[in-house]
Amino acid sequence: MNPGSGAAPGAVLLEVDGLHSFYGKSHILHGVSLVIGRGEVVGLLGRNGVGKSTTLKAIMGLVQPSEGQIAFEAQPIIGLPAHRRARLGIGYVPEERRIFRFLTVTENLRTGLDRHGVSKQRKKALLEKIYEFFPVLVERRNQAGGTLSGGEQQMLAIARAMMLEPKIILLDEPTEGLMPRMVGQIREIISVLQAENVAVLLVEQNVPLTLEAASRIYLLEKGMVRHHATVAELRADHSIIQQYMGV
Amino acid sequence: MAISLQQILIQTVNGVVTGMILALVASGLTLIFGIMDIVNFAHGELFMLGAYVGVLTLAAAGSFWLALLSAMVAIALLGALIYVTTLRPLLGRDPLTTILATFGLSLILQNYALWQFGPVARKIAEPISGHFTLFYLDYPWYRVVIALIAGAMIFALWMFLKFGTWGIWIRATTQDRVMAQAMGIPVPLVLATVFAIGSGMAGASGVLFGPLTAVDHAMGLDWILKVFIVVVVGGMGNLAGSIVAAIFISLLEAYASLWVSPAQAVIVSFVVLILTLLFRPTGLFATATR
Repeated sequence: MNPGSGAAPGAVLLEVDGLHSFYGKSHILHGVSLVIGRGEVVGLLGRNGVGKSTTLKAIMGLVQPSEGQIAFEAQPIIGLPAHRRARLGIGYVPEERRIFRFLTVTENLRTGLDRHGVSKQRKKALLEKIYEFFPVLVERRNQAGGTLSGGEQQMLAIARAMMLEPKIILLDEPTEGLMPRMVGQIREIISVLQAENVAVLLVEQNVPLTLEAASRIYLLEKGMVRHHATVAELRADHSIIQQYMGV
Repeated sequence: MAISLQQILIQTVNGVVTGMILALVASGLTLIFGIMDIVNFAHGELFMLGAYVGVLTLAAAGSFWLALLSAMVAIALLGALIYVTTLRPLLGRDPLTTILATFGLSLILQNYALWQFGPVARKIAEPISGHFTLFYLDYPWYRVVIALIAGAMIFALWMFLKFGTWGIWIRATTQDRVMAQAMGIPVPLVLATVFAIGSGMAGASGVLFGPLTAVDHAMGLDWILKVFIVVVVGGMGNLAGSIVAAIFISLLEAYASLWVSPAQAVIVSFVVLILTLLFRPTGLFATATR
C-alpha cells in the first residue's frame, strides 16, 4: 500500500513516515505513515486507543516519537519544539478543547494572533473574519473561556487555531460530546476551512461526518495504518469501515 | 496596660509598610510557583543579593535610585541564569527535586555572600531622610515612600499581566503549558522571563528594605519564612491573594506587638498559617482567579 497515493505530487503539505511512539513502556504507534496535500481534508478513523490522538500529538510536537520522520512543506520538523511548529502553520484543536479557562474569548484568540511580523491591520482583519465565521464568539468576547458551553468552547478552540493562519489544522474529535445541531456546524466549519485552502487532518468517531467532510481516509488499527482509501471507495464497500470501526 | 488609639494607628501604618514589602517579595515567589510549580527556596537569597548589589552600586555611584534599578536588573539576569542552568533541566521531574535544588542554591548563595562580603553587616542609607510627625512619633517619610514604590511595582506587574501580549502568554502558560506551546507561544522563553521578573522583584525589594535593616548574608532567612507564610495563606500561585495576605499578616503582627515583643508577635503569623492549612488549605482568598 502506498500511503502517498491520492495527494498529487508537489502538492504534499505534510508527510508522516514510519512513526513509532511509546507511552512509558507501551508501544502506541507502530510505524504510522500518511500524507496530506495542500487544502485537503483527510480523515483518520479507528477504534478507541489505536493511536489516533497520539499521531496528532506527534505531528504537533507534543509527543516525541522514538522513530520516524515528519516533513512539513518538505522540511523535516521532527526536532522542532511545538511552538515553532505552530508558527510554521500547524494548528491544533485537541480532544478536550483545552480552552484557557481564565482568559477571555478575545485573549484566547490573541494567544495565536499576537505573533511577530503580523501588522495591526492584518490582526484586526483576521479577528473580524473569525468573528464573522463564529458570531456566537462576538457576544462572548469579554467572557472567560471557562464559562462557555461545550459547543461554544469547541468553536473557540477551532477559531483559536485559525488565528495562527495555519496551513493545516489537526482536529481531534471535534464533535465529541456535542449536541446533534452542533455537529452540523462543525461540518460547516470544515467546509469553511477547505474554502480557505486550509488542510484538515480529522480524527473522528463519527463515521458519517468523516465520510462527508473528507476526501481520503486512513484507517488505524493497533498503532498502524491498516487501510487507506478514497471516500468513494469506502462508500462502495461498507465492509471495510465495519471491519476497522466495528460498526 | 491601656492601648491608645494613637498607638493602634501607628501600628496600622507600620503594618501596611511592612506588608507592602512583603507583598512585593511574595508576588515574585507566587508568580514563579503559579506558572511553573517551582517552590523557590532561594528567593530570600535573591532578596539578600539584591540588597548587596544595592550596597555596591550606592558606594560606586552614590545614587539610591540607580542602586534600586541595577539590583532589579542584575538579580533578574541572575534569576534567568539560575533558571536556565539549574531548574529547566529538572522540569517535569518530581517536585521534590526542584525543592532540593533551590534549597541547595540558597545555601550556596548565602555562603557566597558570606565569603564575598564578610560577616559585618552593611548599611544602605535612606534616600529620603525627612520625618513627619505622626502623633507623638517622628515618622520617617522613607517608610511611606517604600510602601508607595512597592505598591507601584505590584501595580505595574498586574498591568503587565493583564494587558499586552506577554501578559496573555504568561497567563496562558500558567493555565495550560502544553496548549500554550501548541498555540505558538514560546513557552521556554516565557518561563525564563517569569523567573527573571520574580527574581528582579526580590532584588528590588532587598534594596528598598535595606535602609530599614542590616544587610548581611542571612537577611534572606528572616524574610523567606514570612514570605512563605504569606504565599500559603494567600493561596499558592494566587497573586492577588498573596498581596492581601501580606498586608493582613503584617497588620496582625503589628497589632500583636502592642501587647507582646515583636519577636513573639511572629507567633501570630504561624497561628494564621496553621489555621489556614487546617481549614482553607487552598488559601484564605482562594476564590480570586489568577
